[in-house]
Amino acid sequence: MRWTGNIRFLFLFPAVVWVLAFTVFPLGYSLYLAFFKIEQKIEVKREKVPIVDEQGKVILDDQGQARTKNVVIKQETNVATFIGAENFKRLISDPQVKEAVLVTLLFVSFAVPLELIFGFLLAILFNQHIFGRPLLRSIMILPIFATPLAVGYTFFTIFYEVGGPLAWTGIPFLSNPSGALFSVILVDIWQWTPFCFLVFLAALQSVPDELYEAAHVDGASRLAMLTQVMLPLLKPTILIVLLLRLAEALKFFDIPFSMTGGGPGVATQPFSLLAFRTGLRFFDLGYASAMAYALLAATMVVIMLFFRRLRESYD
Amino acid sequence: MLVRMKKFILAVSSIALLSTTVTAQNVEWKDDGSVLLKLGEAYNNTVIKTTRQEMGSEFGPGKKPFKDVTISVTVNGAGPKGGISGPLHQFRPIWEELSGGKLNIVELPFAEHYTKMMLDLRNGTGQYDAFMVGAFWYGDIIPSGYAYQIDELMASGKYPKWTYDDMPPSLKTLHTWGGKGYGVLNDGDGQVLYYRSDVLNDPTHKTAFKKEYGYDLPVPPKTWQQVLDISKYFNGKNWDANDADPDSGTVLHLKVGEQGHYHFQSLSASFVMNPGDKVTRTKNVYWFDPENMKPLINSPGHVKALNFLQDLHKTGPSAQVGWSLGEAWDYFLRGKAVFVFSWGDVGALCQDTSRSKIKGKCAGAMMPSSNEYYDFEKKEFVKLDKPRQVGNTTGGSWHGVISNFSGNPEAVYSLLSLMAIRPVSKLMSTVGWDGVDPGFSYQFLEADGGSAKIEDYVAAGWDANDAATYTKAYRDVFYAPTMLTYLRIPGSFEYWDILDKNLSATMSGGKAAQKALDDTAAAWEGVTDRIGRDKQKADYQAAIGYAP
Repeated sequence: MRWTGNIRFLFLFPAVVWVLAFTVFPLGYSLYLAFFKIEQKIEVKREKVPIVDEQGKVILDDQGQARTKNVVIKQETNVATFIGAENFKRLISDPQVKEAVLVTLLFVSFAVPLELIFGFLLAILFNQHIFGRPLLRSIMILPIFATPLAVGYTFFTIFYEVGGPLAWTGIPFLSNPSGALFSVILVDIWQWTPFCFLVFLAALQSVPDELYEAAHVDGASRLAMLTQVMLPLLKPTILIVLLLRLAEALKFFDIPFSMTGGGPGVATQPFSLLAFRTGLRFFDLGYASAMAYALLAATMVVIMLFFRRLRESYD
Repeated sequence: MLVRMKKFILAVSSIALLSTTVTAQNVEWKDDGSVLLKLGEAYNNTVIKTTRQEMGSEFGPGKKPFKDVTISVTVNGAGPKGGISGPLHQFRPIWEELSGGKLNIVELPFAEHYTKMMLDLRNGTGQYDAFMVGAFWYGDIIPSGYAYQIDELMASGKYPKWTYDDMPPSLKTLHTWGGKGYGVLNDGDGQVLYYRSDVLNDPTHKTAFKKEYGYDLPVPPKTWQQVLDISKYFNGKNWDANDADPDSGTVLHLKVGEQGHYHFQSLSASFVMNPGDKVTRTKNVYWFDPENMKPLINSPGHVKALNFLQDLHKTGPSAQVGWSLGEAWDYFLRGKAVFVFSWGDVGALCQDTSRSKIKGKCAGAMMPSSNEYYDFEKKEFVKLDKPRQVGNTTGGSWHGVISNFSGNPEAVYSLLSLMAIRPVSKLMSTVGWDGVDPGFSYQFLEADGGSAKIEDYVAAGWDANDAATYTKAYRDVFYAPTMLTYLRIPGSFEYWDILDKNLSATMSGGKAAQKALDDTAAAWEGVTDRIGRDKQKADYQAAIGYAP
């Protein structure tokens, strides 16, 4: 059925309002903040007005005086000064940004490939007939449904170095800069490998058995089947999973926020956590907006490159 | 039958009504002019005795001056029996009965409290009527006109009575701005040294220590260098009979984004603070040069102190780099460390046998001194013949400040001032879990110039020796001739956060002390420039009492 007439606009209206209010406006306003310095002044005046009851009579206190309430009158003055690309220039010279970018890149370059590799290996394993496969598969995908913030707090207790369940290992999971980054990567792998596994498994199960059988008849070894049958067929899927994980990993936030607080020092403070602190801890909103736009630009470049590659692989 | 039934229903209703009345009665107005405030289980059903006069004229039997008024107060989230938030929960039924109003306690995680408060204030929404703030937030809220000035309410005599005169000058400063009152007395924060009195006085250890270090084990230690020697001596030995594992020297709470930087502030004070009668460009300064706002944080004194803190850290569990307050305190309370230097909570928690194994062995002392300090004028280190201990008000001294956007400042003030009257404040400072620490004259012992008696503390469940050393330590730390200056300028939270991250990097081995403090100084310059150097300079000069 196809809606005709003006009624369709009525149905579209909520969605349009939603997008304008929660996507377009914040985008536009943060861009404005990135280029302007806003100085805010609020003056507060008060007036005491008598409290009246339902009949409109003034309520008196026990000394016969009228009970009053405060009416707060606010006068807000905002002065916006155009500062050009000042906030973006700061990004280049800010050592905090360099450190956060490094942490983000380290995280992405370790976590994402490992998630793909483990996900792929598990998918191959689960693509065969193994005992209890449906149950194991269900268990395997459970981490995806956990809230990352809760995951961070849970692993904080697991990695707790005195009296924690892994304390016996003597590994400084949280107290050493490299150890903490390793822990954050490990938790992300734990949470997101199942996602890669699930998509790869679905892709593997869609490959017709005839292709493997034909390769087998042609005398292909297991390695050849993997590299010459399976991988080429799964290439578009791998690229999509890689793209999704990269986009997600570039803005990872929840796990370091809850598990390490970005520390020790700034060893696990990714770029998005730095932007969050800059904006909502220290209210340097213009600079935080510039950071957010820089992250958006970086993510978009990565996505565009991958889409191009994806298109090539389909061609 | 019907009549009997009616009588039964009537009797049941009467009992129900009576029990409702009884449970709702948290305040008793006596004919002799005294007033009893009945606390709940968390405070062991303690009954606080006060007077009608102390309660102010607004509250009275049957009076409900804020009937139908609802107020919201934000506080660091720690629950109904947690630090700072706990007392609000416990006094809520009392205040609601007195005022006829309703209190919403808005608990926010420590890391989000400042953000939520500032969002409310910057937007002028007035969603919250008051905030239980740390004094280091003043620079962001008072000059911008976000806080309600309380002098008139205090002077009106209508509300429960307390006074700034009960505070040492060092704490009074933190509750006022430009000579005007904003903060209502609640908590007194400063760090003191806690030590295991039993272990340090053990003759076997005394002999062994002297043999190893060549001098008598001092109890309590007066210098940081002594603390380090003692910590080294005890670290790795199983000197406590509580378990078979080796124990530590000093335990610290160093988790980034929390309160680790306070350790550095309190410790470094004696390495850095140059004594003098007044604040000059080189005397009694710690954070910035008051003439140009150039950071002093990477001075040789600060660097030496940070190197020292690293050495001290090595005498504790390495995991403490990721520890919050609770974890470090529990380690000390379980008898695993000889020293911890921290807030007043520790002394009170030592007395809580459900959590502590060291009641009666937990002494407090004034913060030690370095045996040298960096002279800003001569630009060299000066050796000290005898220790020169520097006081501090390190921490938040968490207390209530009323929002200027509140429609009910009187109602909020009546709540905050109720919790500030002497008998309430005195009780709260003797209890460990509530996070309210001592700092006011009636909490210090008579021997130390206060008005409290050791019996007050013993009656509250304290060991007499622990209480005596504890209150003296706090008296000394708040009244020291040289005090660590408190940073109360716009952006304090950001300056401290930058310092905190760099300190954490140093303590975890990621950066050398000099590099960490140089990075801190460079980042501080950026913050100062962004907020405005001249504006910051003026606020800083006012905050530390510097006259150019």
